[in-house]
Amino acid sequence: MLGHRLVSFTRPLTRAYAPKWPRPKPGTSERPPYRPSDPLNNNPSATVTALPDENLTFIHRPPPTAPSPISYTTNPVSPLLRPPSSPSSILPPLLRPSADKSVPIRLTAVQVAEIRRLRSLDPVKWTRGRLAKKFDCTQQFVALVAATKKTTRTKLIRRRDEEHEANRGKWSEKRSLVAAISQKRRQYW
Amino acid sequence: MGHVQRRLASTTAKLASSLSTAHLQKFPPKELLFAKGREIPTATIDPDTWASLQPPPPTALSAFAHRIGLSSVLNSTEAIQQICTHPSFLQLLKQHKPHEQESATNGQLAAIGNSLMGLFATEYVRATYPHLPTRVMKAAVTAHVGPLPCANVAQEMGATPLLRWHRSRGTLLKPGVLHSDALASIPRALTALVYQRRSLPSARQFVHSYFLSREVDLRGMIKFLDPKKALLEMVKKFQRELPKSRLLKETGRFSNSPVFVVGIFSGEDQLGEGFGSSLKMAEYRAAEDALLRVYLSRTPPHLVQLPSQTFPVGVGDVYRKLPEVDYKAADLVESEIMYASSGNSFTRSS
Repeated sequence: MLGHRLVSFTRPLTRAYAPKWPRPKPGTSERPPYRPSDPLNNNPSATVTALPDENLTFIHRPPPTAPSPISYTTNPVSPLLRPPSSPSSILPPLLRPSADKSVPIRLTAVQVAEIRRLRSLDPVKWTRGRLAKKFDCTQQFVALVAATKKTTRTKLIRRRDEEHEANRGKWSEKRSLVAAISQKRRQYW
Repeated sequence: MGHVQRRLASTTAKLASSLSTAHLQKFPPKELLFAKGREIPTATIDPDTWASLQPPPPTALSAFAHRIGLSSVLNSTEAIQQICTHPSFLQLLKQHKPHEQESATNGQLAAIGNSLMGLFATEYVRATYPHLPTRVMKAAVTAHVGPLPCANVAQEMGATPLLRWHRSRGTLLKPGVLHSDALASIPRALTALVYQRRSLPSARQFVHSYFLSREVDLRGMIKFLDPKKALLEMVKKFQRELPKSRLLKETGRFSNSPVFVVGIFSGEDQLGEGFGSSLKMAEYRAAEDALLRVYLSRTPPHLVQLPSQTFPVGVGDVYRKLPEVDYKAADLVESEIMYASSGNSFTRSS
């Protein structure tokens, strides 16, 4: 009975991983030289044309950057100028998860009337965003359906801009500089 | 040397290079040497002004006509003289030589020629880039046959020493005349003369060889304020699925030098691709690329069909009846999007 209890797990005396130090010697089997694979070999975007008479192989692989926008109308680069294709392939992931939303359902006339009523009641309290969230539609739809009068709109926008300007005046110099730099960068997009 | 001195020097150099005295009847002229009734000989006229009043030598005019390949059209010295005389010259002539007969100027010819050049350039740009928005097409036409290219072509032709003009400051009623304005009138007048003495197709050939063969970069003329909004409108016009941006490749996120490659897709078609150091920047560039791919699609040169091809070749009435001409009208494309399409410059409205 005691023999059974002696069968316990013991750590091996040799370790099975490579220690971090001493560093592997480059040029040896510990760290073999880096041999990059030829990008022309087995490349899906490469067109290979073999000319056995001249014992030549032409491999045309355009650079993986975006193609030039200039093209001929007979063979346009833009898919808008070609009939729509429908290969069912896996597409890359969407940039932002909010883009996966489905088109919102059409609102009834009663709901639209309610939107108009609330907006005219108090445009400061019932903003476009708030109404859009309440009725599950887009802000642009609210703007289309329940636009404020031009005078009210300009007044609100002016008030908002003045508030923002006052806040920007409170910024430290460093913060203003960073904001100015990012605004300038935007011009180079 | 200040800018005023430099300006004077360049003007004097221009005048001095134009004067050749071999063809003048009387040289040195009396008016430069003596004034009647005075003991000490003094010039009544400034030498530079006198030089600008003299006609260029007929040999130079003939050489000019041969150089530009229109020696058969410009068969007389008077015709070439008329081409190279700007209407502002008459003012100078009247001031200093009031008794001399008024010389013919290129004012009317330049006006006709300007319209013809606009016609040829517009049809060419439209036929070559059928999807280009109107504001860009206007800019392209100006870049091909506007006042600046006309002045440049005149200088390249070698018409600068032959030009007779007079600088004037702009008033409230009349615009001023600068050297480039006067030079620009020469190719326009040439176009009109070719049209009058030969035919419309000949005038078109002239404009094509001198102006429409010049390289014009259209990408610099197309600017966007909100390319995503413009692309959305364009996709709706073509009745496709709404554009969605997808991340194609990325590296270095959260580092100090990230690179994102974003593609804008309509359904399964990739409309445009862009890279950037932020997701928003890459998306912006992808939208720009998508729009440029449509705008900059050009017709192959051998397939360009110009409406003025239907006009008759040869001298005669422009509207005379002709046998059927081999002309295939271009297919109508989708009209341009209205967003950011009006006016010369787009300003953001609040």
